Amino acid sequence: MSRFKALSKDHMGSALLIALGIGVLGLGVTYHIGNLNRMGAGFIPVVLGALLILVGLAIGLTAAPAGRETPSSGHGHGAAATGPEWRGWLCILGGVVSFVVLGQFGGLVPATFASVFISAMGDRQSTVKAAALLATIIDVFGVIIFHYGLSLQLPLFHWGW
Amino acid sequence: MYQSLMDLWYGFGIALQPSNFMWSVFGVLIGNLIGVLPGMGALTTISMLLPLTYVIAPVPAILMLAGIFYGSQYGGAIGAILLNLPSHPPHAVTCLDGYPMTKAGRGGAALGITMMASFFAASVGIIVMIFLSPLLVEIAFKFGPTEICSIMLLGLLAGATMSRGSPLKGVAMTVFGLLCGVVGTDVISGTTRYTFDLPELADGVELGALCMGLFGIADFLVSVNRTTVKPSDAKVSMKDMRPTRAEMKQAFWPMVRGTMVGTLFGAMPGTGPTITTFIAYALERKIAKDPSRFGKGAIEGVAAPEASAHSKTQVDFIPTLSLGIPGDAVMALILGALIIKGIQPGPQLITEHPDIFWGLVASFWIGNVLLVIMNVPMIGVWVRMLQVPYKFLYPAALFFICIGVYSTKNSLFDVGEVAVFGVLGAIFLSLDFPVSPIVLGFVLGPMLEENFRRAMLLSRGDLLVFLQRPISAWFIGACTLLILAQVWAYARKVRIAPPLQGAAELVSE
Repeated sequence: MSRFKALSKDHMGSALLIALGIGVLGLGVTYHIGNLNRMGAGFIPVVLGALLILVGLAIGLTAAPAGRETPSSGHGHGAAATGPEWRGWLCILGGVVSFVVLGQFGGLVPATFASVFISAMGDRQSTVKAAALLATIIDVFGVIIFHYGLSLQLPLFHWGW
Repeated sequence: MYQSLMDLWYGFGIALQPSNFMWSVFGVLIGNLIGVLPGMGALTTISMLLPLTYVIAPVPAILMLAGIFYGSQYGGAIGAILLNLPSHPPHAVTCLDGYPMTKAGRGGAALGITMMASFFAASVGIIVMIFLSPLLVEIAFKFGPTEICSIMLLGLLAGATMSRGSPLKGVAMTVFGLLCGVVGTDVISGTTRYTFDLPELADGVELGALCMGLFGIADFLVSVNRTTVKPSDAKVSMKDMRPTRAEMKQAFWPMVRGTMVGTLFGAMPGTGPTITTFIAYALERKIAKDPSRFGKGAIEGVAAPEASAHSKTQVDFIPTLSLGIPGDAVMALILGALIIKGIQPGPQLITEHPDIFWGLVASFWIGNVLLVIMNVPMIGVWVRMLQVPYKFLYPAALFFICIGVYSTKNSLFDVGEVAVFGVLGAIFLSLDFPVSPIVLGFVLGPMLEENFRRAMLLSRGDLLVFLQRPISAWFIGACTLLILAQVWAYARKVRIAPPLQGAAELVSE
């Protein structure tokens, strides 16, 4: 994230939390708040929104300046950050979205194939052939297990609505 | 005492019923299998199989979930030791000495010791659970909404501050989780909150969708093209798994000490297993005659953390089931599954659902024996499974996540929720925020709100009631201590350059 070099991760997180808190607070006051004796639906959300803003402020104030922050400790999460992985993000989210869309308009078989194929393409090392093969294998297994085995309520093929 | 043994006997009767036993075996097997796969921890496994529990009866469902839990915990240790790849955060500590042992050709022995330590620790944890639970129930019956509120507060606070690096970030994520729990229809007034006029959100956010987004999709987003699984040339056969006599002797007391650490921490609500393993490891290094051996393949460094994780796991079920306060995200998931099945965790659980409680206790033992029996001959298979490349693994897992969430309510909207939480989780992870407190907050949120509002109704809006009732006052006192300790630690960190930096980083998530 070269554009944000001036800001450390903590500052960005703090800004995110404060924005979120303001949003929650803004919506929360539209519900009935009430008082401690007779609390309305909005009481707890307002308190939580305010807390989020406060914690966000505290994180922002105690944050280490950019460049001097402690290196991230994500062990299992591939710590070496080399900028955002647009291809990976696009394909993985595309996989989930294609499952939703094709589940609605196409049925189980195309939805499974598309979700596996598209998400598999997110890895730089995968080839179209390997991804298609993987998608086919999983499709077959998925249909056997979920359609015939667990009788999932999703038709195999289903055109239109 | 006698009563407990009778109850345990009854529990074995429940757990050995064919249908219950089958699901328990299934859970242990699947948990172990998926736990071995790189990048798949207990959380991913449980959230993937959560939908399955909706269609089976409550008793086998909880037995299966518990089986998945300790099965995957054990499976994770294999990846940690052989590949230096901790798929479940508590194993990060095991890597430190387990992987050097593999490089020195003693990986098999490390696995053998892990197995022994796990079994021993789990057995101790189960015994503690049997004899402590009835006592806790007596106290728990004195709990009203006020007490429940303050102990939940303590649990949330402990979960937020004692898990990973920055306690403030943990608190922020807990609050975010509480907010996710607010979404939906307010049970008291019937108002729909934060649903953005989407009718699908009126029932609230789906637990499975939240977890799979945060622990599945978010993890894929963060690790795709960044994790390179190095092929392991470790060849482990059954014969290698037998540690030498000297190694056994070396590992015995660390194993006992680790178990004690785990048991002690297990009874404390809100402390996750990661912090427990870290403390067990630190303790071993502190009392060792030659601390420099640690990190270079000291067998004590494998035995103690693994033992502590397993005893902690077992003992953790006590606060989860008898008070409804989960120790970590995995427990929160199991708690959520129970609530979905219509079983309210709390002091009355043991008396009202003795089949669940005692069946679970007995199944722990059966499951742990199964793990030992299964893992000795199957070790070769596990080693080969470790080689599955990530590029094949995550698309397959993604499909299981989609279909798992869909099958819960036959709702494609919920699958969309997964994507949203996946993005949120990935953003939080890349900003170094821990995501597990979100689940804790999400599961406890509605209960906390309900009890808080009830307590306030009873006390006519007087907040002082939390200090006037003695049990509640103790919990509030503990919360205050926890906050003060964090402030003190922060002040000290600012004053002197942190020498504990390396150590603190071990405690990831």
